[in-house]
Parts: sequence; structure tokens; C-alpha cells
Amino acid sequence: MSNKKEREKRREERLQEEAKAQSGDRRTKILQLGAGAVFLVIVAVVVLIVANSGGSSGGDAQNLKEVAAVDSLVNGVPQEGMTIGDPSAKVELMEYGDLQCPVCKAYSEEVLPQVIDNKVKSGKARITFHNFTIIGEQSQPAGAATLAAGEQGRGWNYLELFYRNQGEENSGYVTDEFMEAVAKAAGVKNIAQWNKERKSSAINNEVKATTAQAQRYGFTGTPSFAIKGPSSSGVELLGTPQTPEEFEEAIDKAS
Amino acid sequence: MKFPSEANLRRAIAFVAVLGIGVATYITIADSGGGSPTCLAGGTGCETVANSSYSHIAGVNVAVFGIVGYIALFLTAFFANDFGRFVGFAISLGGFGFSIYLTYLELFTIEAICQWCVSSAVLMTILFLLNTTRLIGYAGIDATSGPAEPPESEAGLA
Repeated sequence: MSNKKEREKRREERLQEEAKAQSGDRRTKILQLGAGAVFLVIVAVVVLIVANSGGSSGGDAQNLKEVAAVDSLVNGVPQEGMTIGDPSAKVELMEYGDLQCPVCKAYSEEVLPQVIDNKVKSGKARITFHNFTIIGEQSQPAGAATLAAGEQGRGWNYLELFYRNQGEENSGYVTDEFMEAVAKAAGVKNIAQWNKERKSSAINNEVKATTAQAQRYGFTGTPSFAIKGPSSSGVELLGTPQTPEEFEEAIDKAS
Repeated sequence: MKFPSEANLRRAIAFVAVLGIGVATYITIADSGGGSPTCLAGGTGCETVANSSYSHIAGVNVAVFGIVGYIALFLTAFFANDFGRFVGFAISLGGFGFSIYLTYLELFTIEAICQWCVSSAVLMTILFLLNTTRLIGYAGIDATSGPAEPPESEAGLA
């Protein structure tokens, strides 16, 4: 009887030891796996940061893209200052954007061309670009350069070409060289005059004034839009419509 | 080394994850429709960050990934076993690494700080520390037994 009890006791002790050993093995494996995961994440973060700091993309003054595409979009459409379209068009669509803003670039390439083709070229609406500089310090000279191009009737050429050659925000690509290359490709005739005007206090104050105006409207992102027409009650804020159709609908409603 | 009880760690993880879900949801809602979160102390840091190209991955706001991560971390707090410990650790480790990368972008590339993003990074760091403590203290141990050292009896999350 006592032998049986002793055997059972020994068996229980052995089982406990085995369970403990198994638990220890499992613990070691889990911690090794955890250490491996930490190593992988450290490598991934370092690779991401190094890849990100390795040179900026876009903003290449020597190799401007899509000059012809911009010409075909805006040439032949009347321009005055930063307004594109028939000055007597009843509806005015106002864009508040930042030259450095990648979402504005996407709107310029994917949303607004249809609106320009369908509503601006037909004389139903005109679009005015206003600076709303929120990305960084380089947005101010970029915005001023655009307004200065507008003084020579090439504002929208400049705006569209800048967007299509936009670099990474605040990466330092908005240099005098880059802005001048865009101005020349946009067809700004008098570069000396453009250089003088883009640095003038009048133009720079206008950039600041329209930014303040956008903030008064309560806009918090770029691009933001407003509309004014015979059927609208003053300036109506549209925010950021997502599709060309929404813009066309808003223009029809305001007509 | 004395570890906090696993039940307390799990409660803390669940609580911080709920805060994270709140912050990430606010950023997502504020960003929808072209807007941006409002910086509490004024300034345009939140607008700048929200309008940068880094705020979206494949068209999806990074805050959406945050919501998914925080929800997953919240759920791991309900598993008082090695699965919950390791998955919680792995997700918080990934989130912590991603937060380091995003904070680097804010400081050195976008050159703007968004308080909401920093809040989320701090919450994710706390979650990483809690989950690491939980894994080191309790990996390989049944829910009903105590931490690795010293042995101490501990029940699961109530």
C-alpha cells in the first residue's frame, strides 16, 4: 500500500517537472520570437528612415514634365491674373490651394481638367486660384511666383506646371532656379519683371491676405473651394468636393 | 524583478487602447472630406501634417491603420494566455516602430508637429511598454500561475 502511494507521489513529481520544463521551453521560444520581432522592426524603421532621407523626388528644374499637357489644357482659354475663363462668366469657382500640397496636385491633374473642359471653356464658369499657404515656408515664395506669372497672363500655366513638377513638401526644391525654370516653361515672357514682382511686398502680402481669407472661411485643408453665382447666396463654401461631377453640379446650381 | 500582476497589465492595456481608438477616430473623422484635426493650442501643425503626402498610404489615412491596431490591442487584453501576450506584443511593437517613423517624418520632413499624432505615438509607446512587461513577465506561464520571477499566484482579468 505504501509502495503504491510512493509510486503515485513519484509519478506526480515527474509530471510536475515535465510540465515545468515544457512551460520553460515555451517561454524561451516566445521570448526568442519576440527578440526576433524587435530586431525586424528596428531594421524596418531604419530602412524606412534612410530611404526617406535619401534625396527628394520631383522638383527637377532641369527636367520639367508635362509642359505640352499643360499647354493643351489652358492655352486658348482667357486668363486674367489668377482667373481662368471668360471674365464675364456668371459663376466664379474659387480654389484655395498651396503649391506644395500633393492633394492640390492630384486635383489639378485628376479633377479640375474635366471642369475646365466642360464648364470653363464653354464660358459657364471661371476659376480663380487663391493661395492658402499651410504646408511650409516654401509655400509663400511658390505662391508669390504664381501670382507674378499671373501678372503676365500666364498664372494658370505656371500653377498647373508647378503642380505637375511638384517635389516633396518642404524638401528645399522650391529654389529660384526651379521657379524660374517653371516660369520660362509656362511662357512668362519678361523674366526680369516676373523676378521683381514675385519678390515685391504687394504680391507677397496678397499671398498672406488670401491665406487669412481662407482661414476666415474656416477652411482647414487644401484644396478648399468656394463658389459665387447669380443663384448662390453670396459666396458659398463648397469645402473639398471629391469629383468633377460635384463641381459641375455646384456650378449648375449657382448659375 | 517584481512584475505588476497580469490582470492589472491587461486592464491598463485595454484602457490605453480605448484612448488610442478615440484619438485615431478623431483624426480620421477630422481628416475626412479634406479637413484636418484642430490643434488645441492653435497653429497650423495639424493642417500641415494632414495635408502632407505622408498622411495617407494607398489612399487610406494612416489613422485608420491606427484604429485597427488599437482595436486589436484592446482585444488581446481579453486573452490571458500566450496568444494574447505575444500578439499584443507584436502589434504594439509594430505600432511603436511605425510611430517612430511618423514622428521622424513630422520633425525632419514635414517640419510640423500635430498634437494628435504625438498623442497617438505616446499612447502606442505606453502600450508597447505594457505589452513588453506582460510578455517578459508572463510568457509561457498559465493564466492561473504567477509571473516568471518571483513566483506569485495571479488570476486573470476579472
